[in-house]
Amino acid sequence: MDADVAIIGLGPAGLQAAIHAARKKVKVVALGKSESSALNKAEVVNFFGILSMAGPELLRIGREQAKNFGATIVEEDVMKVVKDGDEFKIITETDLEIRAKAVVLAMGASRAKLNVPGEASLVGRGVSYCASCDAGFFRGRTVAVIGEESEAAESAILLTEYAAKVIWVHRELKVSPNMLQKAAAAKVEMVPGDPTKIEGEASVTGLELKDGRRLDVQGVFITLGAKGSMELALELGLLPDPSGRIRVDENCRTDMEMVYACGDVTGSPWQLARAVGQGAIAGDNAARAVRQEKS
Amino acid sequence: MDELEQIRERKRQELAGESGADWPSEPVNVNDGNIVDFVKRYDVVLVDCWAPWCGPCRMMSPVIDGLAKDMRGKVAFAKLNTDENQKTAMRYTIEAIPTLLVFKDGELADRWVGARPKEDLARRLQAML
Repeated sequence: MDADVAIIGLGPAGLQAAIHAARKKVKVVALGKSESSALNKAEVVNFFGILSMAGPELLRIGREQAKNFGATIVEEDVMKVVKDGDEFKIITETDLEIRAKAVVLAMGASRAKLNVPGEASLVGRGVSYCASCDAGFFRGRTVAVIGEESEAAESAILLTEYAAKVIWVHRELKVSPNMLQKAAAAKVEMVPGDPTKIEGEASVTGLELKDGRRLDVQGVFITLGAKGSMELALELGLLPDPSGRIRVDENCRTDMEMVYACGDVTGSPWQLARAVGQGAIAGDNAARAVRQEKS
Repeated sequence: MDELEQIRERKRQELAGESGADWPSEPVNVNDGNIVDFVKRYDVVLVDCWAPWCGPCRMMSPVIDGLAKDMRGKVAFAKLNTDENQKTAMRYTIEAIPTLLVFKDGELADRWVGARPKEDLARRLQAML
């Protein structure tokens, strides 16, 4: 699939960017899952003109609106974005490939803590939030991967190259059959369950589940949600700051030509009003850049 | 910066120069063979444990470089590639990167895991001086 502007993220920033880019009559593809957006769990009461509205309803309307303006919505997580010549190549969780002239990054900020006892005290001593960083420290050991979405699947598959055994602990899976097949082929052990405690003193020794079961593991990888903005940006060649924030100018341009960013990925306050404001700027400027107009 | 602060800064830089010509203004690459000597050479040392494939480590690199310049004469900074120096990684039970090991008087005094802002690190290091 080809696009002029590819937008990564179906939260308020991404959808507003899709609306504004599509209004400029360029071909827009917006990718992601609205349920991953922080707005999906919110009741909106502080946005101009809306007294009270459920976040999921606002997102649903936003998707319809973007489609009405001509944007194509692809409800799949993005696994990779790379620069390929003058274009960008985007790969989704079903291995769908999209080529685009400009990219808008609107993946939101990661709030990926599990919030169970043992998590905070064992970070760096068996608890990790980054499989690609830390997989190498778990050669020959048994590890648990916790999560329901594409980041968990990718992490579990990667860890099978290092660990002796990888147990994927999950509640309700929200991942494509394609990724599940890849995980099965990599011999990832699937364990439905709800983690309640990470055990260990000096380092991780086990994982307790709500139903009383205990898994004998030496590593716990917490990989909630979709692949994070930080990792996608790094793979693309952008360098976020240590808090994961992607730097943009007043036109929502990043340090990379034809790459724009908006919403929570660019920093706080993590507010709907800021997200849609930046989304409009990023979408409009990305479309102008494709049409070779001035911002 | 007012005049007094400029004089103070000049004095600090002079003292840093006098107290040891080998105060590094950028992080020194250390390895399994020389890390112990390095951490004993200075009162406070921060060792950034990293690996080439680690994205958050790349994010931290300019932060550590900047701190090495800003805190020259007070804190010495080093980098240790955990992939090439697994003995040290095992000795300090490093299981996540970036891990920042902080040594005071040659002994491990603290460890901070994960990417964090420059101001936060500067504040923590200042508290150890």
